[in-house]
Amino acid sequence: MTLQVGLGQREGRYLLEPEALALVKAAGLPVIEHRTARSAEEAVSAAGQLGYPVALKVVSREIVHKSDADGVQLDVRDAAAVSAAYRRVMDGAARHHAGARMDGVLVCRMARPGVEVILGLTRDPQFGPALMFGLGGIFVELYRDVAFRLVPISERDATEMIREIKGFPLLLATRGRQARDLATVVRCLLTLSRLAESRAEIDALDLNPVILYDEGCVVVDAKVFLAGGDGRS
Amino acid sequence: MRVHPDNLSAIFTPTSVAVIGASTSPEKLGFQILKNIRDAGFKGPIYPVNPKATSILDLRCYPSIAAVDGAPELAVIIVPASTVPATLAACGAKGVKGAIVISGGFSESGPEGEALQRQALEVARDHKIRMVGPNCQGVNNPYHGLCASWPLLTMRGSIAVVSQSGTVAAALMDWAAQEGIGVSALVSMGNRADVDEADLIEYFDGDAQTRAMALYIEGVKNGPRFLAAARRATKPIVVLKPGRTEKGRQAAESHTKSLAGRDEIYQGAFRQFGICRAETLHELYDFSKALAYLRRPPGRKVLFVTSSGGCGVLAADVAAGEGLDVAPLPEAVATQLRSFLPRHFVVNNPLDLTGDATAKLYKDVIAVARGSFDIVTVIFGDPIIGASEVIDRNNPELVVFLGGAEVEREEGRRLHARGVPVFPTPERGMRALAQLARFGKPGERACQ
Repeated sequence: MTLQVGLGQREGRYLLEPEALALVKAAGLPVIEHRTARSAEEAVSAAGQLGYPVALKVVSREIVHKSDADGVQLDVRDAAAVSAAYRRVMDGAARHHAGARMDGVLVCRMARPGVEVILGLTRDPQFGPALMFGLGGIFVELYRDVAFRLVPISERDATEMIREIKGFPLLLATRGRQARDLATVVRCLLTLSRLAESRAEIDALDLNPVILYDEGCVVVDAKVFLAGGDGRS
Repeated sequence: MRVHPDNLSAIFTPTSVAVIGASTSPEKLGFQILKNIRDAGFKGPIYPVNPKATSILDLRCYPSIAAVDGAPELAVIIVPASTVPATLAACGAKGVKGAIVISGGFSESGPEGEALQRQALEVARDHKIRMVGPNCQGVNNPYHGLCASWPLLTMRGSIAVVSQSGTVAAALMDWAAQEGIGVSALVSMGNRADVDEADLIEYFDGDAQTRAMALYIEGVKNGPRFLAAARRATKPIVVLKPGRTEKGRQAAESHTKSLAGRDEIYQGAFRQFGICRAETLHELYDFSKALAYLRRPPGRKVLFVTSSGGCGVLAADVAAGEGLDVAPLPEAVATQLRSFLPRHFVVNNPLDLTGDATAKLYKDVIAVARGSFDIVTVIFGDPIIGASEVIDRNNPELVVFLGGAEVEREEGRRLHARGVPVFPTPERGMRALAQLARFGKPGERACQ
């Protein structure tokens, strides 16, 4: 993803995506099924286990903006395409970040379509940890349609955050479509609030996007920054 | 971090005041402040301190604070920044308990000033002096005849004004005085070395005269303390905080050295902690006025009674956009109204009484329709004599008055004198009503 919504410019340590996903999953959030592959063969095998279509993403501590470096291949539909995609990802990364250390490729099951939302955690110098909720894509990039609350949040705060964004009607039932699962967003926000309280070393966290369905949701991309050694945690 | 949690009574209700740096030149602040304290009717002894004068404004002048033959409770300090720490120390030795440091040249002016400010704060703390400022426009408590500020304003009311800008504070109090509603107190916080918005929220929440607080802040001094004070407060708090844009944020940081922070996080915190946010100076005034003088309607059903069709439309439009419920008149009410209203009137909501409207007609109409709505917005759009008699002072409706020239000004004065706020345009009135519906103290009257 090209925009880090909850994050400012940060020093400190950036977790590899498999580590970030593992952290988020351990906290109790639903995370897209994934495997890490270190060769084209491993990628094909992982894709076979996960089921097609899949997405491939470069894993490197030195590449934060993966799609800028051809580091993301979406909707890959068979074994031959996975091999080709693996090479494209590695070549692209090598081309854009010569000498960058590669930690393989993340193979993810493609999430089925839903509404893209963003959940985030940031630390404000005045107020401490704050949670963010917004709609993904153009809503956040162009309109910055996001809502914040300070940690810890209550269930009511979470509900108000969701209702506060201008794009809220897009989450409601319309003709021929059910309402999105807002209760699950509330649960995710409360989970993140607890995570922010228990893990002070997390300086910032961006779940962008989280795909939201009529029932449930799934975290597709996670970025986690740990506080640097400057005592900012 | 509170070193001495004693209250701020020495600053707001001192028994005696020393003005250190009192001046004989009428153009100097040291003269104006002394004069304002005297002219506002301060009852206790006033001690001007100036080594070069023997008397100022017919008040005996002292060469130093040490030479004062009494123990002033409050010191207002208008001396060069470099001498402020020593002046505070001398105040401490004399038993002064509160200080208002007007002088600039502290943290707003660079590293040297910052060091001086730290030093001044240390001295104040060592001597258990609570300090407002430095670099501020002072304190005005009209209930105590204490105008340790400028300009001279004395009108008493129910809004406490707390500001990081002296001019913003003065403008609010000036408007309130013009309208005859006044304020409960004014504090220009300046650099907030000691006393900050959290202290003042706490103080005014316990102040008997204050019914709402109007804050202008460019950034809070201490996030957690501010939020804790806001959470504990039982009175409505309205905040104007600029810095929505990057340029505004930068300007704020250079003005008051406030860490302006990310606006969207402030926005979230305000919502989470029940703080009413104003977007403009007018809104800060309007919202505080509504929250101080009106009670929260039990629901959102609003009836418009107007003599101006256009203003009824403007009001209904803004009200609906703000989430208020512009509900139709119940048929029984409409029927009853038709029984005495002229035939050509459209009996609807807004209810347009046209340019023929009289105070009596307003009264009759409201009496019939009142019970079916949570609040009535009464728009006087013409010179309606006796308009002020229409409004029940014990349970006022939201009043908008415009287009009434001298009659409007006279009736408006009467309304304000009775504690009924009047709003100058339908839009401003409706924005204020929307805040009242969210943040107001609950009223007693329920929709029947």
